[in-house]
Amino acid sequence: MVTEVYVMGLFKDENRAAQAVEELRRPPTAWTVHGVHSPFPSRALAEAMHVKKSRVGWFTLAGGIIGFFTGFALAAFTALRWKLIVSGKPIVALVPFVIVGFEFTILFAILGNLMGFLTQARLPRLANLACYDPRCSGEHFGILASCSATDKDHLCAFFTERGGVIRVLD
Amino acid sequence: MTRLTFSEIDHTVLETLRPAGRGYWTAVGILFAGVLVGASCWAYQIATGIGVGGQNIPVAWGTYLINFVFWVGIAHSGTLISAILHLLRARWRNPIARAAETMTVFAVCTAGLFPFIHLGRVWVVHYMLPLPNQRTLWPNFQSPLMFDVVAISTYLTVSSLFWYTGMLPDLARVRDTAEGFRKRVFTILSLGWTGTHEQWRHYTRIYLFFAALATPLVVSVHSVVSWDFALGIVPGWHTTIFAPYFVAGAIHSGLAMVLTLMIPLRRIFGYERLITLHVLESVAKTIILTGLIVGFAYGTELFVAWYSRNIVEMETFRWRLTGEYAYGFWLMVLCNVAVPILFFFRRIRTSIPWLFVISIIVNIGMWFERFVIIIGAVAHDFLPHAWGLYGPTWVELGIMLGSFSLFFFLFMLFCKHLPSVSMTEMKETLVEGSGDGY
Repeated sequence: MVTEVYVMGLFKDENRAAQAVEELRRPPTAWTVHGVHSPFPSRALAEAMHVKKSRVGWFTLAGGIIGFFTGFALAAFTALRWKLIVSGKPIVALVPFVIVGFEFTILFAILGNLMGFLTQARLPRLANLACYDPRCSGEHFGILASCSATDKDHLCAFFTERGGVIRVLD
Repeated sequence: MTRLTFSEIDHTVLETLRPAGRGYWTAVGILFAGVLVGASCWAYQIATGIGVGGQNIPVAWGTYLINFVFWVGIAHSGTLISAILHLLRARWRNPIARAAETMTVFAVCTAGLFPFIHLGRVWVVHYMLPLPNQRTLWPNFQSPLMFDVVAISTYLTVSSLFWYTGMLPDLARVRDTAEGFRKRVFTILSLGWTGTHEQWRHYTRIYLFFAALATPLVVSVHSVVSWDFALGIVPGWHTTIFAPYFVAGAIHSGLAMVLTLMIPLRRIFGYERLITLHVLESVAKTIILTGLIVGFAYGTELFVAWYSRNIVEMETFRWRLTGEYAYGFWLMVLCNVAVPILFFFRRIRTSIPWLFVISIIVNIGMWFERFVIIIGAVAHDFLPHAWGLYGPTWVELGIMLGSFSLFFFLFMLFCKHLPSVSMTEMKETLVEGSGDGY
């Protein structure tokens, strides 16, 4: 049985890390890149990983639309439950109720935004920490790659030659 | 001067989280005592009745409403710095964004207490919420006061979520350097954040949406606060200029509070390399702009009153300039418009003592602006026989002291327990184009 080994290459230089990712991903390759870790959103790494645009915006949009109608409907419903004319305004008054609708739009859009983030980024998930090196939140860029046990030395050598530090994950 | 490094940023910020000394806890203790004074005054008011305040007929809104508007205003520049300047890609905001966002959250919390305090019978606060009840009575959403309930609740929720989400990468950094119980706490708080490209991909997007949504929200919230007054048919209140006037004033006061907080923070925590003089100077330049807008609004109010030829409106503004509260009017003009003009001089806006003193002067001026608007208008409206004056009682002053103490108390706790400068955003400032690839 061929066992898979996970190796993390840690780089202090963002561009070197990005170059290593590109080389690792270049076919034909026996190694699989599982992810890169960085202390800030690195443009170079995003390009090397060919990151696609996130779809959380759809959650935000859905939240906003639901929010507007919820806010407006709440205001209209409460007004219709006690049909008291105030200041000569109609019972279902458009202008003031749009303000309530607007605030609910923002509130629900933000809640949708957050929900989108948590579901798409799969958080909270403490199991993430198993394949992680604490240096990646500081000043290192980590590349998590895997290979067969027989190829481990090659992969380690690949990272070392490019100026990286190795960490083999159990 | 040597260039900042990632490790220096981390070291400087994480150093602030070390166990505090006696001086810190003494300051926290004094502020907590102030909070207790405020809480005791409120308890006394609840037990005795709202009459222990100085509110009367015709001045039914006293310092409680002044402080409410003041604290909501303070909150606004936090959102300006974290959201609007983020959208404008103004990188000078990065070192102060976290503290400004925190200021927003705590200021909204403090502001949110005042409607409860002013309510008197605080145990019936649920009447303001749309809850089903046996008499089918519901809040009236045509009222600007109900707009306010919705707007402030939304603002508190959004600003808290924005603040927490923006802090996730830094909480992970604290987790990675902490040990023992602290590590366990920060492991939970950071939700398992590991900074993978997948997490950043979604994070950068939601942060952008947070900023994009918080921007119209901040404009709407203080517009709604202004409509609490502008929708009342009272001379001095019933004017269309109120919404932009209030928004500009809110940002003006908030920026001043940012300086008031940042200057000691920078000195105490040795943040000089992160919060540079250039950052403080940029805040000062923005204060010049907001000060001029506020000055323009003061002038427009006076001009419109004169141009309208409405005798009630003209009398209101004549009295504002020369009546019993004229000192408040001239103080606000001096503090909010004239003094910030000094920032046109580079020597003044690059001098830390000047920046600090002027920021406090602007805060005082902005408190008096609310005094002039809220008290002045109703004290001297349509009917001469119904004119009256107002002065705060010791209960109101105690509650006001409590509110200021509460704000600074919370801020002090924050500074020693959570990263007060965003390490992630500071690192981004060192790398050109970071975040753009997502």
